[in-house]
Amino acid sequence: MPRKKEERVVVTFHTTAAALKMETIAKRDGLPGKLISAPREMSAGCGLAWSSPADQKERIQALLISNRIGSEEITVLLC
Amino acid sequence: MKVFEGKKGLLILGVIGGLMAMTLAIFGNPKNMALCIACFIRDIAGSMKLHQTVTVQYFRPEIVGIIGGSLVMSLARKEYKSTAGSSPMIRFFLGMMTMIGALVFLGCPLRMILRMAGGDLNAYIALIGFLAGIATGAFFLKKGYTLGRSYETRPVSGAAFTIVLAAALIVSVATGLFAMSQEGPGSQHAPILIALGCALVFGAAAQVSRMCFAGSFRNAIFTRDISMFLTILGVFAVMLIYNIASGQFQLTMEGQPVAHTEWIWNILGMYVVGFAATLAGGCPLRQLVLTGQGSSDAAVNVLGMLVGGAFAHNFQLASSAEGTTAGGRIVTVVMILLLFVIAAVHCKQEKEA
Repeated sequence: MPRKKEERVVVTFHTTAAALKMETIAKRDGLPGKLISAPREMSAGCGLAWSSPADQKERIQALLISNRIGSEEITVLLC
Repeated sequence: MKVFEGKKGLLILGVIGGLMAMTLAIFGNPKNMALCIACFIRDIAGSMKLHQTVTVQYFRPEIVGIIGGSLVMSLARKEYKSTAGSSPMIRFFLGMMTMIGALVFLGCPLRMILRMAGGDLNAYIALIGFLAGIATGAFFLKKGYTLGRSYETRPVSGAAFTIVLAAALIVSVATGLFAMSQEGPGSQHAPILIALGCALVFGAAAQVSRMCFAGSFRNAIFTRDISMFLTILGVFAVMLIYNIASGQFQLTMEGQPVAHTEWIWNILGMYVVGFAATLAGGCPLRQLVLTGQGSSDAAVNVLGMLVGGAFAHNFQLASSAEGTTAGGRIVTVVMILLLFVIAAVHCKQEKEA
């Protein structure tokens, strides 16, 4: 049975290193989420993105700023 | 278009890519080399007399077509973005190494898949090296490897390389200025309009699907998501069916077209390609597509491949059906060492990733 889609906050990055740093910080701070292939509707690249439950958007934004991680776009998507 | 969305869309786009490769094979491109980014850039280098190997000189319209297809599609989808400034010199050298590694094996990752679809067991062996190279690159990515981010530039800057390449193709067709092989792989080619048309469609499909042979495996390592393999599966399946139906499929190591059987160098050649492509952020095909989308950094990588192709033939580094060369073997080992140095040097933690 196909998985039911849910709203997720998805972050794309300028570099793969930034995406991997996000994963490390998220694990350290207990932020729920995972790395995914950058969704085609968000990015023309073949790189990585970070995906968390939609209610984590503000927490993610705070983490990006406090850890100086350069993000490209933050959007809530059905995925 | 909805039909190209989701996982099913990725498979459909892969099948479209496979059909284009099949058409090129039917209309005269070399056997098991319907579409090879490395070989075709090397042929262009020969046509421009950057090297003098008379059997591999032809201004391949396919390279222009793939970049052009990506440009048109990215403009249509409002994804065209002119960017530059991410360690261009390193990207140039990574392009050179990608090309030389590919010519030691005799093919880029796309041709490796086409050779696999033809039953060439040497390509299955080379796949081990390619995946190991990507895994090594992924290890360094995990350690903080980055070439830094790129920045937006004036829109025309990102299209400059594409425009020059298209102009060169017109010059090639209209004036016969560039060299053209009379025998060997360079003399075998589909009619120009068919080659250009198929490549435009292939480039467009690759742009929409984000097709990347190195990126697919790299992302699978980090996300356990294997959906990006669907486009590659589509290309492989079409070519496998075509090869079986046309009687060209032969599951052997010996006697394969434009291939050699030195397994260790097939592995190491593609190890270089996988490693260098991961450090550069994409395989040779992906670099063409990114060039079309406006990335000058990718265009610099393509220029590196062009010069690498010339070096490989001018200094007898490229293999042939007879096997590898002493120079090719030495340079392969040196390149592996250099790739480790490049990867390690760019691993230092930056203030902002």
